[in-house]
Amino acid sequence: MKLKIAVLVKQVPDHEAMVQVKSEQELEIEDRYVCSFFDEIAVEAALNIEKNHPDAELFALSAGGKRSIDALRRAIAMGIDQVVHLGDESLEASDSNYTAQVLVARLRILQPDLVICGKQAGDDDYAAVGPMVAELLDIPHISGAVSLDTNPDLNMVNVGCEREGEIWYLESGFPLLISAEKGLAEPHVPVVTRVMKAMKANIQNIPLNELELHGNKPQGRIHRIRYVEPPSRPEVIMMQKPFPENISELVNYLQEKGILS
Amino acid sequence: MADKKIWVIAEIRKGNLTRSTSQLFGAAYKIADQKNLDVVGVLMGGEKSHAESLAQKASLVLWINDPGLETYEATRYFHAIWQLIESKGKPVVILASASSSGLELMPRLAIRCETGYASFCVDIWWEGSELVARRPIYGGRAYEELALIKEPALFTIRSGAFSIPGNLPNSGKVETITLTFSDDLGLKLIERKSTTSSKQELSEAECVVAGGRGLGSPENFKLLEELAQELDAAVGSSRAVVDSGWRSHDEQVGKSGKTISPDLYIAFGISGVIHHILGMNTSKVIVAINKDPEAPIFRNSDYGLVGDALEVIPVLTKELRSRR
Repeated sequence: MKLKIAVLVKQVPDHEAMVQVKSEQELEIEDRYVCSFFDEIAVEAALNIEKNHPDAELFALSAGGKRSIDALRRAIAMGIDQVVHLGDESLEASDSNYTAQVLVARLRILQPDLVICGKQAGDDDYAAVGPMVAELLDIPHISGAVSLDTNPDLNMVNVGCEREGEIWYLESGFPLLISAEKGLAEPHVPVVTRVMKAMKANIQNIPLNELELHGNKPQGRIHRIRYVEPPSRPEVIMMQKPFPENISELVNYLQEKGILS
Repeated sequence: MADKKIWVIAEIRKGNLTRSTSQLFGAAYKIADQKNLDVVGVLMGGEKSHAESLAQKASLVLWINDPGLETYEATRYFHAIWQLIESKGKPVVILASASSSGLELMPRLAIRCETGYASFCVDIWWEGSELVARRPIYGGRAYEELALIKEPALFTIRSGAFSIPGNLPNSGKVETITLTFSDDLGLKLIERKSTTSSKQELSEAECVVAGGRGLGSPENFKLLEELAQELDAAVGSSRAVVDSGWRSHDEQVGKSGKTISPDLYIAFGISGVIHHILGMNTSKVIVAINKDPEAPIFRNSDYGLVGDALEVIPVLTKELRSRR
C-alpha cells in the first residue's frame, strides 16, 4: 500500500516573543514567528514514516494569511516537497471551525490515509482544529500521540498517546488523524541545501472562493469580544531568616494563608 | 424542573470521580443560577455508586451504563454523547474538563452539533443572552474573551479554574440509559502503561512540587517524592530535567509540557525561564526555592527562599511532618 500523509502546519509567535494587550481589540506581538512547536514534530513524524516506506507521499497544508507560507517553507526545508497554502489574511481572525472547514475542503480532494497535526498551536492554544478536521472527514482521531508504529503491510498503525499519568496504545486502520505530542519525533535541523530549496520554492495558494466551504463563515459560531491582560501577581515575599529557620518562616506564611493545614 | 439544561460530563479515573469533575459543577452553577437552568450530570460507564455520588451535585444524572464504556475510548464516548443528544434533545450548555478525553470529544461534538466551542476556559458568565468564556492565549501572556452564539455552547474547563461548590441542595435521581453501538468504531485499546511514580496525577493535584536541574541528579528526585508524599502532592519537572532524560515527559510543566493550576506550586532549583512560567503561572500560590537570588522564578512567585534545594527539601519534609 502506498501511504498518503497530510501534515497540517501553522506559523505562530516564538514562545519567547513579547505579547502584550494593546487594547481590547488589539495585541502587540513581537515579530518573531516560527513553525508551531508541535507542528514541527508532526512534520518529523511524517518524515520518519517515509524513511521506512519510501514510496509514501507527503503533503503539508497551512491555512491562514501570508505568514503561513513561512510554516510551509519550514516543512519543505525539513523534507516535505508538496505544500499548499490555503486562504488569506481573513483566516487570521476566524474561529477553529472555519479553519477546519478550509483545511478539509482541500483534504477531501487529497484523500490522505493519515493526517498528522500538532496537538495544539503555539498561539491560541486551542487544541481543536485536529479533532474538528477528523469529524468533518468522518475518520477516527487520536490526540497527544507520543509513538507511532506502522506494520509492514501498512494497513494498521499502533499509536501511543499520553493520558493522565498513563500511555495508552491504540490500534487503528486508515484513514486516521493523529495530533502530535512532544516525544512523537525529534525535529531535525534542516540542511542548508533544503533551506535554499525552501526559500526558492514557489508556493501554491488556493483562494477561499475556490474551496467548497458550504456557507461556513469565519466567525459564525464564536466571536471574540475582547482581549484582557493576564492577572498580575503581587510582589514576592522573600524569606529573611538564615537556613534552616527560613523553612519554618515559609511554613508559617503558608499556614497563615490557609494553604497548608 | 426547568426545561433548559446544562450538561456536566463526568470523568472517572482510578475508580473515582475526578476533582476536575467536581470543579465543573462550580462553573455549572455559576451560569445556571442566573438563567434558571437545570444542572444535569452525564456519566459514561462507571458504577452505580459513581452515578449516585454525582446525583448529590445535580438535579438529574444520565448514566449510560454500558460495558463498552468501561474504558474511555474517544470514538465510542463520542457516539454515546451524540446518541444522548439525539434522544434527550440539545442542552443549552455542555461542560467537560480540559483533560485528554474532554479535549478529544468536545471539538468533534462542536462540528456534529454545528455549534461553538471554547477550550481551556478559566471563567464563564452571561453577558445578556450570550455566554462568554475567558481563556488564556499565547501561553497565558494574554487572555481572550469569546462569545458563543449557538446552542449548545460547548466548553472545556481548565483544572483548578473553579472551586468545588460547597453545600448543594440537590439530590437528583439517576436515569439509567442503554445505547446501541456498532461493533467496530475504528480504534482498539491494546495496552495501558502507567508513567507516574507519584500517587497524584499532575493536572489533577491540588499541590505540585517540581524540580529542576538544581536538584543535581535524577537520584535526588527521591527527596522530592518523599516531600510529595508528605504534602499529598504530584511531582513536576522542568524541561531541562526531562530533556536530560531524568524524568518522563508527562511530568514536564511548561509550554511544551503541561499547563497546570494547582492551589500550591513549589519550584525547587528551577530558574524560571518563560517556557516554564507559561505552564504554571495560573497556580493560586507559587513558592520558589533557588540558590540564585536573581533567578527569574522569584519574579513570578508569591514566596521566595534563597537556598540549595537539596538542603531545603529534607528540612521542609521534616518540618511538615513535625507539625502534623
